[in-house]
Amino acid sequence: MNEHFRIAQKLGLMFRPEEPLPKDIEAWALKQLYSPSPAIGIDGVESEPTSWPKSLRPNLEERARMRALYMDSDKKSKLGIDGEETAKALEIRHRKYLMRKKDELKYVHRNIYGSDQLRLRLMSFWTNHFTIGYGHDYEQAIGHAIDEAILANINTSFSSMLYSITTHPGMLNYLDNTHNAGPNSEYVKRMKKEGKQAGLNDNLGRELLELHTLSPSANYTETDIRNTALVLTGWGGEMNEYTLNKRIKKEGKANDWIVYDQFRSEPGNKTILGKTIYPGKNGLRQLTDFLALNEHTIMHLSRKLAEHFVSDVPKKTDVDFIANAWRQNKGDLNKIHTAVIEKAISSKEEKFQWPMTWLFQLLRLSEATYIEGWTNLKLPSRYLMKTGDIFEELGQSFWSIRQPNGYSSKKEDWMSSEMFERRVRFADAVWQSGKPKQTPAMIMDRIGANKSTRNLVSRWGTQQSQFVALMCSPELMGLENA
Amino acid sequence: MPNFKLSRRDFLKASGASLFLAGIPLQGYTEDKPPGNISVIILEGGMDGLTAVPPFGDPNLVAMRESIMSDKYLKLNSFFGLHSRLKTLSSLMAIDNASIVHATAFPYKKRSHFEGQDFMEGGGLSPFSQKTGWLGRSLELAKIPGSALSLNMPLILRGYSENDTYFPASIRHSTSLNASLIDAISKVHSKAGSDIFKKIRNKSRLTLGNKPRDPVSLAEYAGKAIAQKNGPVASVIRIPLFDSHAHQDYKDPHSALNHGRNLEKFDQVLAAYKKGLGDAWDNSIILTLTEFGRTVKVNGSWGTDHGFASAGILAGGLISKARVIADWPGLSNSEQFEGRDLMSTIDYRSVCAACIERALGLDHDLIASEVFFESKLPRIFDEIFS
Repeated sequence: MNEHFRIAQKLGLMFRPEEPLPKDIEAWALKQLYSPSPAIGIDGVESEPTSWPKSLRPNLEERARMRALYMDSDKKSKLGIDGEETAKALEIRHRKYLMRKKDELKYVHRNIYGSDQLRLRLMSFWTNHFTIGYGHDYEQAIGHAIDEAILANINTSFSSMLYSITTHPGMLNYLDNTHNAGPNSEYVKRMKKEGKQAGLNDNLGRELLELHTLSPSANYTETDIRNTALVLTGWGGEMNEYTLNKRIKKEGKANDWIVYDQFRSEPGNKTILGKTIYPGKNGLRQLTDFLALNEHTIMHLSRKLAEHFVSDVPKKTDVDFIANAWRQNKGDLNKIHTAVIEKAISSKEEKFQWPMTWLFQLLRLSEATYIEGWTNLKLPSRYLMKTGDIFEELGQSFWSIRQPNGYSSKKEDWMSSEMFERRVRFADAVWQSGKPKQTPAMIMDRIGANKSTRNLVSRWGTQQSQFVALMCSPELMGLENA
Repeated sequence: MPNFKLSRRDFLKASGASLFLAGIPLQGYTEDKPPGNISVIILEGGMDGLTAVPPFGDPNLVAMRESIMSDKYLKLNSFFGLHSRLKTLSSLMAIDNASIVHATAFPYKKRSHFEGQDFMEGGGLSPFSQKTGWLGRSLELAKIPGSALSLNMPLILRGYSENDTYFPASIRHSTSLNASLIDAISKVHSKAGSDIFKKIRNKSRLTLGNKPRDPVSLAEYAGKAIAQKNGPVASVIRIPLFDSHAHQDYKDPHSALNHGRNLEKFDQVLAAYKKGLGDAWDNSIILTLTEFGRTVKVNGSWGTDHGFASAGILAGGLISKARVIADWPGLSNSEQFEGRDLMSTIDYRSVCAACIERALGLDHDLIASEVFFESKLPRIFDEIFS
């Protein structure tokens, strides 16, 4: 592959045919960091890309309100009221009020049509790092977390992103912090008096240390975990009508998701890895700031970034380079991402691509129309596969039920005949139903395909076989040639 | 882990369950089949042994967790009971086809899901020390290479080579695979990638059709596959959502993280295995695996947090006498591990080793040294199978 596409494969999603290739690809990559784009998509399969309509980009308050309407309608259906129990009513209820399908489609569209390809790859990396697995209680929140806690923080600091995602209702619900209350808080005292159960829940506290920041290499103790959970007491906020109305009554608005309830929080100082954290709302920010610059966090995440963007087995010097940028710039994400970009470019090693990244790259390169438009949210295409089904068959989705450690970036965890067969089948299906506007020959010329790929592709008589061969070549999958 | 409240319909669609079938003999393989077959049910998230098999004879049990205790349990003996939703297990114990091992764990004490899961599947001496899994290594020692039915390759079944995966695709517009095209693709990939593309072409033609992929349907399918002549000799099923940090067995029996509900799901999986296996049940051993047990005391939200020892459940026709195998450590504060968890008194690797020995006919010392890298691993075969 030529240098433009080698870099776009490792760090981005490939240049679409209509995108002019930049003169200086390295400068382009660094500039991408600071080139945000609104969400781009299509209303119908053959439409020109344009901005996602505002009505399909609700804020948190609107999302919570829709969920309340959904629950209300659901309740009526269980009571058999107003014809709400019919299959049609159920479908309307899902389509109108729930966000999963809309958010999934927006995510896919962005990745296929967006010009901010490098930022989108970073968005996916951090979304995976801060996994929120699917749950019915908070499916409304996942898409919002991706946009507002992850993407909105791409140019801030790791500390800011960490604080935003830790306090997001999606995360607080997914890892049970909505159940977490200080054993000496006023809330627990009152509950105990009434003979009710209430107290500590360490689920988020544990994963905050193990997965999101330090990693087990820091050798923290159960007491550190417990104290982290204590710092997290008071942080909650379920997406239901009761909480919503309570907040609007109290604060006049509900769209700011930073919800803290002193009543549930544990009084007194807490000590984590020797650091004293003060009580109250600011304690969590004090803790996330501390964790964000801890040496174990820096090494854990510098390695993880390198494994995702530089090489499956990154050199120690590459990891150290990223870690140094982290240390010297106090976790400034622009500086950290710049270091990642520099090392991804200077390292000539190939980098294996996730199934979904590969599919996005394939669709951009070939200009295939394989994904529904947003009008299909109301009237699904009879011809195209539904976005959710595509993700399920690919074996990778940010809206699936899964554990909080997220997807591996290493090829060994994806190398199975079943996973590879999916690639063959998706390439075939994209050719047949997506009718690519770019032929395999045109794609090979544009990307500067290597000799091995050209030999593999050129021996086939049909463009369909050529297309499958090209997309499943080691070059396009980010694997080494024989 | 999340507090799911899914309807059954949602659960079938998105349960996260997966099935792995392994050790399907390759064509032309002529050696004798091993004496039995082995299936592992992974209870993902940390199954609470004190809820599944309550030691009601221990006076501290009620004191420690009254708010989540059910007063309805099935009595096993004067000390242990079974959760009331484990009806199949109870009936299997009544016909001497199931046993319990209690206060048992892999020797992993740090309470992380991901280290714990890696440890229990890898079976090495520490988390993330092994690229292969204990069942995969056992199948290789028994010289039964073959396929695993799954989308990805689970660590527990990874061997040094020769394993393969299969899971039917449902991709619209994808027609039959062009064998010569796949041959050509395999030739340009380097060794690891090339081997995989070759397998796409050669893989066995097991079909799951459009059956639901929930654990119960998968278990029946696995049972039927194992029962076939030249069928697999090993299978693995994952049941997620045992990580019950909140409301684990309380009030809302439909909450997806309700432990009773998930134990019932396990119980149905057991029943489905038996149904699918048919006569092959007589040569079968099924065992559970979980990364850790849960805290003895209830936490602030009617749940329990990550702990140490749990209970293991064994079932199948290869069990000839129902028993509860335990060296009970007690539940008082001073008897707990680090003042919070059930102490482990039986190394669960010994339980796995006994099941491998019985089902695959391998020698214990070989299993100890080659599968678990622990030549002094105690043999408890007689306690389970005599």
